[in-house]
Amino acid sequence: MSTHTLHFFDRVDTALHDATLRTALDRATTRFVGNRAGAIGALSDADRLRDQARALRAYALSRLDELLERLAERVEDRGGHVCWASDGEEAKRYIAELARSRGVRSIVKSKSMASEEIHLNEALERAGVEVVETDLGEYILQIAGETPSHIIAPAIHKTREQVGALFEQHLGMPPTTEVPPMIRAARQALRQRFLRADMGISGVNFGVADEGAVVIVENEGNARFTTTVPRIHVAIMGIERIVERLEDLAVMLQVLARSATGQKLSVYTSIISGPARPGEADGPEEFHLVLLDNGRSQILGGQYAEALMCIRCGACLNACPVYQSIGGHAYGGVYSGPIGAILTPLLQPDLPDNHLLPHASSLCGACQEVCPVRIAIPDLLLRLRADAVKAGKFHPIEKTAIQTYATMMNNPALYRASGKFAHLGARLLRRKGRIRRLPPPLHLWTRGRDFPSLPAQTFSEWWEERERQRRSG
Amino acid sequence: MSRNQILANLRTSLASNRPWLEEVSRSAPHAPPPFVHPPAADLVAQFCEELAKLEGRAYPVADGEEALEVIGRLLDERNARQVIAWDLEQIDLPGLPALLAERGVSLLDADVQGPGRKERLQTLEPVAVCLSGVDCAIAESGSMVLRHGPGRPRLASLLAPAHIAVVRRSQLVRGLGEALALLRERHGATLFDATSHLTFISGPSRTADIEMTLSLGIHGPPEVHVVVV
Ligand code: SF4
Repeated sequence: MSTHTLHFFDRVDTALHDATLRTALDRATTRFVGNRAGAIGALSDADRLRDQARALRAYALSRLDELLERLAERVEDRGGHVCWASDGEEAKRYIAELARSRGVRSIVKSKSMASEEIHLNEALERAGVEVVETDLGEYILQIAGETPSHIIAPAIHKTREQVGALFEQHLGMPPTTEVPPMIRAARQALRQRFLRADMGISGVNFGVADEGAVVIVENEGNARFTTTVPRIHVAIMGIERIVERLEDLAVMLQVLARSATGQKLSVYTSIISGPARPGEADGPEEFHLVLLDNGRSQILGGQYAEALMCIRCGACLNACPVYQSIGGHAYGGVYSGPIGAILTPLLQPDLPDNHLLPHASSLCGACQEVCPVRIAIPDLLLRLRADAVKAGKFHPIEKTAIQTYATMMNNPALYRASGKFAHLGARLLRRKGRIRRLPPPLHLWTRGRDFPSLPAQTFSEWWEERERQRRSG
Repeated sequence: MSRNQILANLRTSLASNRPWLEEVSRSAPHAPPPFVHPPAADLVAQFCEELAKLEGRAYPVADGEEALEVIGRLLDERNARQVIAWDLEQIDLPGLPALLAERGVSLLDADVQGPGRKERLQTLEPVAVCLSGVDCAIAESGSMVLRHGPGRPRLASLLAPAHIAVVRRSQLVRGLGEALALLRERHGATLFDATSHLTFISGPSRTADIEMTLSLGIHGPPEVHVVVV
């Protein structure tokens, strides 16, 4: 077995043995799942709204070429600049060159998955510019030197004690384990960063083609500062994140906020069209929109096109029993959870153990159930699995094992039976909490790795019980 | 050129997948719903209730005089000597300039454009209160809709620890769909000609990034006070 294939399993293993992470994930995902269910349940007609959201996403994708041209043209009409970037390198080159030519020394950033996808910060730092993440969670991770574990709550794996220690060290805050002083310290420190920055870089939730505008949603206000205070605003948008009309937002923003955090609307929704107008007191003098392709224009023509409907709400992560157990880091890419298992191999194809990601799912269907645009995530995962096998990405041993595993996962009865069987057998094979050999054909799995011993319940027993409790509770 | 390459790729891709996408596109109507919750009888009550759920404070008042009283009290409580505000003519509340003058509260010059931008930002930073009007307000989500442009600085709803906003009863709509339709009706296709920036504000700035503990005011105002006249 090649060593790189161990990485994914190692990460999973590490995650499963990290008690702090498990508690944090449990707390966060349970809360998000509850909030989402409450918010969606309160709608007069949630099904209709989700159908509309799906139809609007499909519409936008079906005319993506035309809508992008319109968006770019109207942004330029309003005095903005547009960079069409085929890949991350082009986007990074454009932004780094812009920073250089404008004498930019310090940049503030609000959350942007697209910029993480292309590793923008590293490129800018190499160019000698200071980059500060300003979303509280992202900021905590930046000073800790870590990566996000959750799309909406990136630093959920950090305890307040850890955050306190970081702030003590980096912000000179007096020692404390109370949250309010930490919030005040971060507010003060980041406020100064905003006021001193020469450039602000943001992501984009939706581009609005007709208006030449970009939409950014957030709760903290850091994106408002990022797009208002510095002299230059650069917005990075994955080319698929577009709607045609302003009115479409009345559907998209409502499903996004409810699915992400259970809010009716996010605290701040900013719709920005070009730089500040003449006579305007604040707002940026320059506005640049970077349209990032990075493989998306090809994905649109293939069997994974549906994944481009994703609006990055994170609901499928929270609903996923695998994600609930292993968290975001284990997936290895920028995008985690069920949709990450699809997007990462497509958008970050260089990561070595991508072919294993589509297996980080029990195909229980919870993701599709909660997805506001009803992406057929389990179907797409199955196709990716088949593709990876066809492309010869698997070692023959992995291949047989995974096929067996897939057959079982796809047949609930067989899965339950084998789970029970494996369960009994596993108890007999267990040594010091680790299973060193599984019975055939699963022994193929354990030839190269230990298999963590199974919990007291099988997964499907646990799931059924959980569902039972949920229904009765 | 990347632009042409990207567009060419998209067209090739759509040649195979457009029929499927169009079919999904036709599977549901595109017209947005005007609102998404069961309609409430009293929009003022609904707005105030929703804002309270977001930890914002609403002050439904009978008339302009009472509105001025509330604002005066809020300014006094915060010991506000200076405010950052919209042009007062753009806030629909007669008597507001007199109220500020009486108390010796000065309006900061919010213009930061041109050279010296960072220095001016530093001068504005300690301001105690933001003061603005709205274009409309959404009852079912407790949101305010603010169009920014000349005479309407963005920082006048962002910079200070307290944001006081004046909403007229007639500015209340039920839902987001209605709000966007209203903007369209008023401004037509030229909505973004004078407006560079449109913001929906639903309560105070919040985060739950440390252990999922809700905290207000991480970047934007921790206090949002809305006077509904
Ligand atoms: S796939 Fe669906 S549920 Fe998952 S993040 Fe995207 S939109 Fe949300």
